[in-house]
Formats: sequence, structure tokens, C-alpha cells
Amino acid sequence: MKSREQEYKEIFVAEALEYYDALSRHISELEKTPEDEQILAEIFRLLHNLKANAKAIGYLVIADVSHKLETAFGMIRNKELSFSDEVVTVLFDGIDMLGELISNVDGAKEIEPSPALLRNLDIIINTQTDNNTELNKVQKYYTSKNLSLSDLIYIQIKKLDHLLNLVGELIIDRDRIVSISKELDNDDLKNVSAHLYRITEELQYSVMDARLVNVGSLFNKFPRIVRDIAVAEKKEINLEISGQDIQIDRNILQIITDSLLHLMRNAISHGIEKADVRKKNKKTPQGNIELSAQNDRDTVILRLKDDGKGIDQQEVRKAIVQKGFLNADAVSDLRDTEVLSFLFEPGFSLAKEVTEVSGRGVGLDVVKNAIDSIGGRIKVDSKKGVGTTFTLYLPTSIAVKGALLCQVEENFYAIPLMHTDSVLSLPTEKLHEVGNLLVTDIKGETITVVHMRELFNNDLDTYNGTKTALEGDVQNIIIVTYNNRKLGLIVDKLLRQQDIVIKSLSRPVNTIDIYAGVTLLGSGKVCLVLDVAAITRYFIARR
Amino acid sequence: MEITEKKRILIVDDSFYMRTMLKNMLLDAGYDVVGEAPDGKTALQMAKEKIPDLVTLDVILPDNTGLDVLKGIKQDNPDIKVVIVSAVGQEVIMNEASEYGALNYIIKPFSEDKVLEALNQAFKED
Repeated sequence: MKSREQEYKEIFVAEALEYYDALSRHISELEKTPEDEQILAEIFRLLHNLKANAKAIGYLVIADVSHKLETAFGMIRNKELSFSDEVVTVLFDGIDMLGELISNVDGAKEIEPSPALLRNLDIIINTQTDNNTELNKVQKYYTSKNLSLSDLIYIQIKKLDHLLNLVGELIIDRDRIVSISKELDNDDLKNVSAHLYRITEELQYSVMDARLVNVGSLFNKFPRIVRDIAVAEKKEINLEISGQDIQIDRNILQIITDSLLHLMRNAISHGIEKADVRKKNKKTPQGNIELSAQNDRDTVILRLKDDGKGIDQQEVRKAIVQKGFLNADAVSDLRDTEVLSFLFEPGFSLAKEVTEVSGRGVGLDVVKNAIDSIGGRIKVDSKKGVGTTFTLYLPTSIAVKGALLCQVEENFYAIPLMHTDSVLSLPTEKLHEVGNLLVTDIKGETITVVHMRELFNNDLDTYNGTKTALEGDVQNIIIVTYNNRKLGLIVDKLLRQQDIVIKSLSRPVNTIDIYAGVTLLGSGKVCLVLDVAAITRYFIARR
Repeated sequence: MEITEKKRILIVDDSFYMRTMLKNMLLDAGYDVVGEAPDGKTALQMAKEKIPDLVTLDVILPDNTGLDVLKGIKQDNPDIKVVIVSAVGQEVIMNEASEYGALNYIIKPFSEDKVLEALNQAFKED
């Protein structure tokens, strides 16, 4: 409920400011051509709307001032009041007052309209000409006022992108300076660098904050879209939206817009059944779709849930074999969650019928790629006959990511926290060789484990996991997840969690890339960021 | 359970704020909002194209007066119901509007109850 009120308020203010600008323009024109009926009618209309809107939302002072001005202009239209210099001044003052009231509806302190001005307005609309002396008083008060510009500015997202990049560079240098100052052990330098640290941190969060928009700015487009799709599909949909107030980086929201639209189309055309089928299955004739957003620390979780026919696991298992992804034996070993992950594979589509709105050959793999590109995750849960839920885990901001740092030989590596599941120490004897890979059993699940030192020292294709290469009785393993599949990474040393700024990597072509980018640590050391998605994909395929 | 056909509404109002409020109210109440027109010209065109069951019509519009729009809509299609949305102080217009076939009116600022009641009444005549 609150979010709708907030939305109304924003619309009111934006529209009222437009009205105010138009009013200021028109009254200046009117001063030159006082007889212009069209301008008068336009001013009258604007004031009329402003009054009605202000009354509806409950800004009674604005409604009152607009009403008085509307009355005055109505009288001018009917030639009951002449557009004399004195009257013009009062009207100008009144419109300026409106502008100020509108700009301040969100302000901390409430603005009171000048009582002298209100009295002047009353005087002109009561056409009592005996009080001219009083009219002059306000004139001075208002003409001495400064020009005021709106407190809100529009800014190109490009400029904010640039700003954020600069902040990223700054943070890298800052960490370097903080690290040097520790080494030099100079108190002055330490103080300055501590201060620098705080300021840049605040700067980083301010810039990130400036880029945040409400998820509602995207969600609120959906009722209309859903209606249109539902009409085309001849289905009735009841859409519930929640969490519009949740904030997220504008570019992230932009990147997932098409994905969310795609999922919504799928839900309506493939998920929700026709009304007669639903009735047969004891469901409401209208399909129910929930679109929600929530925050979980640094992650924004978007959820799209429908109560349609759900995904048939058996059909997916069949399709995995038919399309040649896995053989029948391997498929029967898959868990349900793993089965559903195949929906995101390129070339995997269950849609049999092509309809006007969906089935355009864009598969869920495109959705998945979009979400991967911003370091997010997507998950699907589905139960046949009950419905399907897609869950998107998105970072709040693109620039800075939480990461787990680890060390292999002399080098440092970072793994985005979005993909880390857990960290464990495993006795070496629990690892087994299967084919050319190491595997282990964790809570009843067989997981491929990659010996990172061997991987870094070989090409992907020549990598073999062997027990003989492992040193020590215990191995440090980071369990990462991608598309519902787990992979273990053996590293030499686990370091710490840290926010990192990822820079892209200029890379040689023709190699499968296992790095998502690079970052600089405070020590000045280069730290490669692992591309968990690519590594997991590669090893799952190889298994 | 029978699915009743949703009544299709066209909203005519020059204020985006008013349209948004009205639209939300109508959608919540289970109406289908088939279009929103910010001026008389668009209103007439949309009424022709979308053939709504009912039009909520603001009387002060940037190009035509609401009454001209009302006449135009009724001329093209007398079956389209029209409910006038007007502010306090404009009640006089209602007399004229009802002559041209407007069924009911809503006074701005409106409450949800009033709006739905006015529409219910308009549809009752079916």
C-alpha cells in the first residue's frame, strides 16, 4: 500500500512541477497579450488540474492557493477582473508561491504560504478595490526572492557510469596507499590514509546510491504487459506485485528487463493453463502470478511465481537424452534440481507450440546469460500441476562485489561470493579418482573437485585430477555453485573476504576463459577473478 | 464459477496523476482499462477504435471541452456510456451533459467508493 502512495506522490510532484513551469511561461505570455483567450483557458485548465490533484492527494494548501488563482483567472476570462499591473503582480506571486509549495512537499519543514499574499489573492477575487495599499507589501517580498531551480536533476546514466569507474580506480589506489602506509609505519601517513579510506568508502557508497532505482520502476510496467499478453493468449491472469520499494542499480535492472519479460511471457503462455483446464484441475479459472522483490544483504531477490501446470520432470529427463546432452544412465542419476538446470542450456526448449507472444526462439539460456553477465544467479523450482517459480539473485551494485580471496602457489585469486556455497577442509583420503577427475561425496552428493594448482599449470584440456598430485593430509576446498550444480576447488590457502572492483581482462582468443577479470589488492598484487560459471560448465560437461 | 466479461473502460483526463489514480481504482475493482486519453482528440479516436463499454470523461481538456467530446462519442456510438468526472464548482455542466446522454458524474477529488458506485449505477441500466 505504501509504495502506491509513494508512486502517487512522485507522479503528483512531477506533474505539478510541469504545470508550474507551464503556468510561469503562460502568465509571462499573457502579460504581453492580455486578451489571448487560448492562453487564459490553458492557465485555467492547469490551475484546475493542480487544484483537483492537490485535493485528491491531500495537499490542501496547494489546493487552496490553486483554487484562489483559478478563481482569479476565471474572473479575468469573464472580464470581471482586469489584468492590471497590480493584479498581474499578485498572480505572479501566487504562481511562484505554488512552485515553492510544490517543490517542498517532500521538504523537512513545511512551507507556509505568505499570509499577505493569500490576503492579496482574496482581495482581488473579491474585487474590493479599496485595499490597494496592502497589495504592494507582498510585491517587495517576492520580487526580492532569488531564482530557484528544482532540487531534482536528471542525469545521463553514462555520466554515472563514468563516475563509478573513476571510483573503482580510486579504490584500487586507495588500498595500495593504505597498504604502503602500513609498511612505512609513519604515523602521519597512517592518519591520512585512514581518513582517505573512510572518505573513499563514503564516496563509493554515495555513487552507488545515486544509481539506485526502485524495482517498482520496472515492476509497475507489468500489469499492463500482463494484461496484453493475457488477452492475446485468451487467459485470465491475476498478477500480484510486491517489493516495489526495493532498490537496485539502474543498469542491473536494465539488463534483466528483457529476461523478466521473457519469463513472464513464458509463465502466461506456457505455464498458466486455459480456464477450462484449470477448472478441471480444481484451480481458480484465473491464473495467479506473483512478481516480488526482496533484499537479502547485498543481494536483491526477484521472484516470479505462477500456479500453472508446472514443468514435467520426466519430460525434461527425456529431452536431455533426446537432445544428446547426456545418456539415459546419467540422466537417471540426476537429482530433480539438476534436471531443471538443463532448461538453461543453449538449444534446450520444451515449448511445442509457437504462439504469438512466446516461443520466438529465445530460450532460457539467453535469460541465464544476461544474469551471468552481471554476476547474478537464477534458479527454477517447479512442481507438475502446481506451478513454477523462477528466482533471480542479483547484486545490488555492479562495481563492487564481495569476493573470497584464496592463494594457489604465489598467486592470489578471487571468487565472487555470489557463487560460493561453502568452504571445507577435507581429508585427502576422501577424494577419489574417477576417470581423469577427482570427486568426493558431500552429504550424499557426488561432487567433482578441481585441483586448482594443476589446473593453473596446465591447459584446461590437459588437466587431470590425480590423487598423487595432492600434498598434505587435508585439502582446503571451496564449494562453488552455478546453475544448481556444485563444484569443489582445491586451493593452497584460504585468505579472507573482501570487496573487490573487477576490471575486465584483455584476453587471448581461442582459449576457454576461466577468468572473469582482474583486481588489484592493497598490496599492489594482481589478483585474478575466477569465472565460476565457465569453470563449472566446463567440468560438468567433462564429467 | 462463471467468468463474467470484464467491462472495458476508457479514461479521459488531461492529468496523468488523475488517470493513474482512476486507472488503479478501476483495475483493482476488476474493470479492464482499455485506454487513457489526455485530450479530446485522442479520446474521440480511442472511443472509435476501442469501443469501450464506458468512458470516464473529464470536462476540462486542453483541446475540446468535455461536452464536445461527449457529443462526439455519442454521435459515433450512442451505446458507449459516459460518466462525467468533474471538479467541485462545475456542477452546472452536468445538466447540459445529461442532456447529451451522460449517465452519471463523479466529483473530484473522488473516493474509490464514489467512483465505483457511479460506474455500478451506469452499468445497472443494462
